[in-house]
Amino acid sequence: MTGTATPAHGTTAKSVRVRRRVPTRTPHQAAKAGGGRLGGPLAALPWALPAFALVGVLLVYPFFRSVYGSFFEDNGFTSSYTGLDNYARLADDPIFGRSVLNTLMWVAGTLLLPVLAGLLIAVATHRMRFGGIAQLIVVLPFAISGAATAVLWNFMLTSDGAVNQVLRGIGLDGWAQSWLLEWPQNTLAMIVASTWQATGLNVVLFAIGLRGIPRETVEAAELDGASGWRMFRHITLPQLRAVTVVVVGMAIVNSLKAFDMIWILTKGGPSRSSETLALSMYRETFRLFHVGYGSAIALVLSMIVVASSWMYLRRQMPDTGPTKS
Amino acid sequence: MGRAVRTLFVAGCVVLWLIPLYLLVVNALTPAAEYAGRPGWTVQGFDLWQNVRTAWDAAGIGDSFQASLLYAAVCGLVAVLVAAMAAFAVVVLPIPRPAFWFWLIYSGTLFPLQMFLAPLFGLYADAGLYDTRIGLMLVYAAWAVPFAFFLVRNQLTTMSPELTEAALIDGASFGRIFWRIHVPLMKAGLGAAFVFQFTAVWNDLLLGITLSRSPDVQPVMAALTTLNNAYASTGPPVILAGALIVSVPTLLLFLMFRGLFLRGITASTR
Repeated sequence: MTGTATPAHGTTAKSVRVRRRVPTRTPHQAAKAGGGRLGGPLAALPWALPAFALVGVLLVYPFFRSVYGSFFEDNGFTSSYTGLDNYARLADDPIFGRSVLNTLMWVAGTLLLPVLAGLLIAVATHRMRFGGIAQLIVVLPFAISGAATAVLWNFMLTSDGAVNQVLRGIGLDGWAQSWLLEWPQNTLAMIVASTWQATGLNVVLFAIGLRGIPRETVEAAELDGASGWRMFRHITLPQLRAVTVVVVGMAIVNSLKAFDMIWILTKGGPSRSSETLALSMYRETFRLFHVGYGSAIALVLSMIVVASSWMYLRRQMPDTGPTKS
Repeated sequence: MGRAVRTLFVAGCVVLWLIPLYLLVVNALTPAAEYAGRPGWTVQGFDLWQNVRTAWDAAGIGDSFQASLLYAAVCGLVAVLVAAMAAFAVVVLPIPRPAFWFWLIYSGTLFPLQMFLAPLFGLYADAGLYDTRIGLMLVYAAWAVPFAFFLVRNQLTTMSPELTEAALIDGASFGRIFWRIHVPLMKAGLGAAFVFQFTAVWNDLLLGITLSRSPDVQPVMAALTTLNNAYASTGPPVILAGALIVSVPTLLLFLMFRGLFLRGITASTR
């Protein structure tokens, strides 16, 4: 396990927005001295065009088309303008309410389990004999796709699956149940299954952060008699702050986007009880052909993703220094 | 108390994480006909190749496997190249309004896929791209550009502008500067971006089930889902063998390029 840690400043991660100026360079002097050899500012355009064409046509255009479509009653064949009707219908659709609740459960569960487990495992295996091997084993599922993970956990969670075998084996017959067939359990069981897969990445990120803690800091704390819990609480945690911002930010966004696992394990069922917003949109659009309604759900989900990452990062960015003790 | 508790905790986690993997392998070995209806915890014979063959041929994972390899390799390459060119334009070249270009391309990573699905489906149905390999490749390439762009751009901003200046004074064209200076210097970053996006395309399920239907077009995760839906008729050993097959490429990539992976992740946390 190599990889030099860098002090995180102005932390950015996939699909997490950070409020800072995108560092760009002004054209350098040599370019101007070149006297027109650059062919003016437009000479750079062809370099950005392929990316712009791909992203523009296949992502940006559909995005705006979705926003536009959410104001229409559209069943895939005919469409008529209905204004905010779709959004009004969302508000009193019981399935939508359940879907929002499940989505929140996914966010909370993902913050609690994979992030916490990732932190604990990274700290426990740090500078430990065979720690690297232990880390590798926990990281392995990260290289397995969500679909394959779901297939494997389907096998574990069926009524006579491995989980119930273990529970019965250790005398907890009362705990064995049909995990995927009743409401709160099915969402919870799927969160556990995705924890098995997602923890690895967090372990890697926290381990990188731990390696970045200066030795002097740790030694100074040891001289002052800090150890165990106090060391963790006052030295390790504050030093890991920057990494934690990234991990939590990624966890929020990824949990909001969770689809593969739920689609394979329960299809959002039974009777749409385990749907999240990501699934509701898919079912409404491609199974029930409520295209406009599905677009409205997609827009609500997008707004939640963007708003939550923005609010979260805005709270994190003014560096308040180490947490108050 | 520290040391013993810590060792116990780590050992417990390792066991917990290994159990599903162990069950996956052991039960994929079981001959499909002899599956007892319950997960076996010990090796029940060795019929892995037969199970793999059943999943590969009968369940159509084989066709999808080849299709997905094509998608992941080609789209990963195209996305990284296109993203590197765009990053080069935004960071190195005097393009007007670089921040606008950056956000335009980067915005692709911000939104959930659901935001693009319905219009994409309509667009594809009209253009005759629905259920074609080229259609899926286009959308995968577009989908893989933004994050690759982000990774490459991060690396470009750390490179010194003097290099470009010197090359310009020597009279090198943009193309020459890009291919002769930036690409060789960014090898590691480009490699990491490729591994990341190959994995992302390979693991995709949602775009696959939305934009394709026929067995030789649909990506491998969609085929695995179909196989899993026939749970009762095929039997778990074949399904688990299928799950093993689809995990092999990404596992191999991960184990071979672990250093690259980690560096790529580190770069993205900066």
